[in-house]
Amino acid sequence: MGSAAWFVKGINYRLVGLSLFVRYHAAVMLPARRTDSAHDHALQSVVDRLTGGLPDRADTPDGWVTAVRRMAPRAAEYAPFPEGVDSRLRQALCARGIEQLYIHQAAAVEHALAGRNVVITTPTASGKTLCYNAPVLSAILTDPSARALYLFPTKALAQDQLAELHDISDRLSRLAELEIGVFTYDGDTPQDARRAIRGRAHVVLSNPDMIHSGILPHHPRWAKLFENLRYVVIDELHAYRGVFGSHLTNVLRRMRRICQHYGSNPTFICSSATIANPKELAEALVEQPFELVSESGAPRGEKFFLFVNPPVVNHQLGIRRSYLAETRRIASEFLKRQLQLIVFAQSRLTTEILTTYLKDDFGGQPGTPDQIRGYRGGYLPQRRREIEKGLREGSVRAVVSTNALELGIDIGALDVCVMAGYPGTIAATWQRAGRAGRRSGRSAAVLVASSAPLDQFVVRNPSYFFDAPPEHALINPDNLHILVEHVKCAAFELPFTTSEDYGKHNVQEVLGVLEESGLVHRTGPAPDSTEATSGTEAGPHDHEGTWQWTNESYPADAVSLRSISSDNFVIVDTTKGADVIGETSFNSGPPTLHEKAIYIIEGTLYQVEKLDFVGRKAYVRQIDCDYYTDAITYTKVTVLDTFAKGSGIGDQGSGIGNQSSDSVEAGLQTRLADRSHGEVHVSSRVVGFKKIKFYTNENVGSGELDLPEQQMHTTAYWLTVLKPVMAALPYAPDDRRDGVVGLSFAMRQVAQLLLMCDRQDIGISIGSGEGDDTDLTRSGQPAKLSDEPRIFIYDNYPGGIGFSEPLFGMHEDLLTRTRALIAGCECQHGCPTCVGPVGNTGPLAKTVALRILDLIGAMQCRGGSLDPPQIEVA
Amino acid sequence: MSSLADRLRGVIRPLVEGGSKGPPLHRSDHGDHHDAAEVLGGEWREARGQRFLVVDRKYAPGYRHGRVALADCLPPDTGIWPRLHLLGCGADLLGCRAALYGPPNQSGKLLFLDLETTGLAGGAGTYAFLVGCGWFDGATFRLRQFFLSNFGAERALLESVAELAAGTACVVTYNGKSFDLPLMETRFVLQRLSTPFAEMPHVDMLHPARRLWREDDVECRLTNLERTLCGHEREGDVPGFEIPSRYFHYVRSGDARSLEGVLEHNRLDIISLAMFTARASQLLDDGPAEALTAREALGMGRLYERAGMTAEALEAFARAVQAFTDDISRAEALRAHATLCRRLRRYETAASSWRRILELRTCPVAIAREATEALAVHHEHRERDLTAAKTFALRSLQLQATVARHQAVQYRLARLDRKMGSEPAIDRPSQSLFPLGY
Repeated sequence: MGSAAWFVKGINYRLVGLSLFVRYHAAVMLPARRTDSAHDHALQSVVDRLTGGLPDRADTPDGWVTAVRRMAPRAAEYAPFPEGVDSRLRQALCARGIEQLYIHQAAAVEHALAGRNVVITTPTASGKTLCYNAPVLSAILTDPSARALYLFPTKALAQDQLAELHDISDRLSRLAELEIGVFTYDGDTPQDARRAIRGRAHVVLSNPDMIHSGILPHHPRWAKLFENLRYVVIDELHAYRGVFGSHLTNVLRRMRRICQHYGSNPTFICSSATIANPKELAEALVEQPFELVSESGAPRGEKFFLFVNPPVVNHQLGIRRSYLAETRRIASEFLKRQLQLIVFAQSRLTTEILTTYLKDDFGGQPGTPDQIRGYRGGYLPQRRREIEKGLREGSVRAVVSTNALELGIDIGALDVCVMAGYPGTIAATWQRAGRAGRRSGRSAAVLVASSAPLDQFVVRNPSYFFDAPPEHALINPDNLHILVEHVKCAAFELPFTTSEDYGKHNVQEVLGVLEESGLVHRTGPAPDSTEATSGTEAGPHDHEGTWQWTNESYPADAVSLRSISSDNFVIVDTTKGADVIGETSFNSGPPTLHEKAIYIIEGTLYQVEKLDFVGRKAYVRQIDCDYYTDAITYTKVTVLDTFAKGSGIGDQGSGIGNQSSDSVEAGLQTRLADRSHGEVHVSSRVVGFKKIKFYTNENVGSGELDLPEQQMHTTAYWLTVLKPVMAALPYAPDDRRDGVVGLSFAMRQVAQLLLMCDRQDIGISIGSGEGDDTDLTRSGQPAKLSDEPRIFIYDNYPGGIGFSEPLFGMHEDLLTRTRALIAGCECQHGCPTCVGPVGNTGPLAKTVALRILDLIGAMQCRGGSLDPPQIEVA
Repeated sequence: MSSLADRLRGVIRPLVEGGSKGPPLHRSDHGDHHDAAEVLGGEWREARGQRFLVVDRKYAPGYRHGRVALADCLPPDTGIWPRLHLLGCGADLLGCRAALYGPPNQSGKLLFLDLETTGLAGGAGTYAFLVGCGWFDGATFRLRQFFLSNFGAERALLESVAELAAGTACVVTYNGKSFDLPLMETRFVLQRLSTPFAEMPHVDMLHPARRLWREDDVECRLTNLERTLCGHEREGDVPGFEIPSRYFHYVRSGDARSLEGVLEHNRLDIISLAMFTARASQLLDDGPAEALTAREALGMGRLYERAGMTAEALEAFARAVQAFTDDISRAEALRAHATLCRRLRRYETAASSWRRILELRTCPVAIAREATEALAVHHEHRERDLTAAKTFALRSLQLQATVARHQAVQYRLARLDRKMGSEPAIDRPSQSLFPLGY
């Protein structure tokens, strides 16, 4: 009987006395786990059922299971403890069965003890935490005044690590007769406990937001920590990309100033999921050189990875069977065979839906503890701890979760991971897949694609996922909007000297402009009279001027690390009284909260009755209707400055800052398309909306709107389709326009994929880039194209967040993959997966878009099947 | 392409529009303005190559705030009122007492401290630009203000403050526990100095002032107390919210004229603080009979009770009961009296106070419930009058309460019924029962 296998496994764990610490965080000398052949067999049989018994077959993009990969098991590789690890720590670890380290642990510990910054990227559950806990605890044992600061992207992760650190630090405290204080310090820490923590903590576990607003501005209270700060640990480094990462760099810059003031110079230990550029990201975030440890020595069992694409049920519209139903079926297959399972859903709503489905199927006897659980943000901590424990102990057989369980919360290693929908990035997909996988024995991960463009691209191009390097994480800490806010915070924390540097811009100039607004004040001698001094010594020098904070505000309060601007719209429900039920960022306010818009929270529908644009409030009322709304936004991009420009395919691009425009023009005579990146002005306006029926997606009405324009300066990449190409298109002007619109739709999807960014991080626009106005089509696109239309993909943040330049560099990849996306799509005339729904983009959009790509040469790179373009150059 | 400065202006300007209140900024050249020492009536002091301003004032015994003269506020010759420690913060009370009266060779100086700061937010960027210190010197009151005329002088200034504070027996503030002293600590630590106030006994007058003089709808601010206690009305006082911007104006322009009002505000605050400390200490010395108001008597009772001076506390509560004219306050005083009596095992007296609460025409529900429950306990366990106990328990059921409390009463009733069933309660004619349905 299947449940016996579960039971036996549970006993196995208890028999060998595996504690959490041991299971996850070090090489353990254990009696080899008895191969649970029944378990392995059960898993194998499901995989066989899904793949038709052919685990090593070739990819089939049009099939149901589009790809299967088998990852061979790997044995552990050990290394001795490096020199310098405190003997008491070794003793404590040995007492728990850890007599040697995995090679990556040994390498990381050695770097850290030698004071070299190190970033570790090894798979989930390979014992990363010991890589930082060992050097930190060793340093504290050797010098009890030493302090360490741990940063986790969420509070929950810090709590999770706290339990684990307590375990080992208690043991050490007894051994070394030294009270090692380990505390979390975040928004949940009670006020009366804070003083005690400041005094007693050797290790403080916190998050960047708390460091930013609670610790750095109050650094004198933390003097003991900053005087003795030996290590800073940044876990889940890959979480710090885009805006969040750009803010974190500035928080770390501020922290470094404070450390210098108190005379410390901490070593950084970072751990990251697999991304393409961990060392580069660590160096960009911390602005110091790093060593990379990427080779894991942890053992791994055999693992299967499957891509499943629900079959098409309507070829005309390109509609597939529901991916949730598909997920339910696949999860059931595994559950039926008593395998322990995690299902990842894309939203809180789908999490609840899938939980309901699986409970219906496998609910068990009424009155018995739930074996199927949901897990998401919004659950109370106690309930979450209970579920995590149930998973570790095996009493919970399946959990359906949002990305809340993607990060390193300890839930043990499960048998199977089923992902309902592509998580959005390669890195996150591996991270989630890593939730399944034991040290020995088989495991499986299954990705079930939804009909979203990214999902379809990934399951139909498995090699993109399995063979290409994962995404780059990008940040732009010198975005002026972000930088200026942190310069204010930094000036509040410690006065700037007149010779100090901060970031890549001239901070003296920044301070000069801040002084114009009265936020800071310069005292002391004028800059030209100062002798050259380095700003690295503690405190301002007598012969130097300083910039003092001269404002009564507390600047950190005005900055949220998770967005650029703290301006937002609040949503007020007037159904019964006036309750605030949500908020949304300033940028997404107008398209989602215009009058008559349908606003959805957790499946409940509200209609917007009034949008108070000035007061930043939307008044909504609960309604019952069968449609939702989609805003039509017209966005106009005007080029302000071109940073670099190149031809379509195969060149490296050239900076043109110093070249005269004549020579640039001369060099481009025979080109077909240009790529560029630069600074742009974006103005967008919501001009109308459509009503779309649920389930059928029929267009059941529309309305016009007149909302204020939103403007920003940002950076953009753009593709210019040159005259010869446009002239060579054998189509009517409207069809040509549809082709360009469809192309831009597809490029946006691919750009999002390449940039590892969220959908709202980038925006798209078509136009001449010269600021001229034009008539619009019903879907908000220009009615008529200019002779040389440009497709802009811009950073959807004031000042830009650093996507444009990399996109410029990845131009060729962008076009090639866009072509693969469109050409590979099974629809006939366009669908939401490729160039957009037919109703939006016109009947020939797909054909024309492909034709444009072929003409500009994208087909030459991969999978091209058309004849080389024949272009007559005018 | 726009220059960095232009782009910065585009970024910064919108963020601060409407943010700057206070006087318009105008730069005047150095030498154009009056010397701050002259304007503010102080003297420059130089240390560590930096200079800051020290403003000294001396107040004669005849100096008055409204109807209160300084001469009436002087501490005894020992320098400290014998019951000052009763005003200390809760947990430090005993430590405060030991430190205050323990070592005989203490100089016995009290330091009245009040800061003016560049903001209320706290944190490293909030400066104390004015550190005001006051102390009794014989029959006079002396006041010294340290003014941070430029930021570079902070370290030197703080060292001078520490020098003055050395040998102080006790520091007295108004709201200093949560504001002035933590801020001082931040400034000292930031300058890598050790703070003189860390181990010093501390009386934060805000808390005793609330106990003694709070009026229902008036915030317990110093200026309000001045009005009610001294009959003193400040003229042209600088409102608190204007203080930071006045200082920033000085920092940018060098023109100290608008700061004269700030320094005067600080001096008035310190003198008032000293007067209120004197009033509270004298009250506690003189005893409950001297209380001017019922509220004062009740507050005194609480202060005595905290210090374990139960006889004085009971007297004060009794006086408060007598003096209050409204039932709600009287209920509060009776409750304080009853609770203390119960703690002292004077159960009969406690019961009679609880009963008096129930006789009041209007009484807060929470207090009434406490009274009925206390009386039910009293009759069940001490008087062994189960019928009376049951009557009180039933009465408490009629009062609004949480589910848990209701449940507790139900348990009691069930137990009473059990007891009454097995050993029939002696049906005493209970004149102790208040007439139901009054």
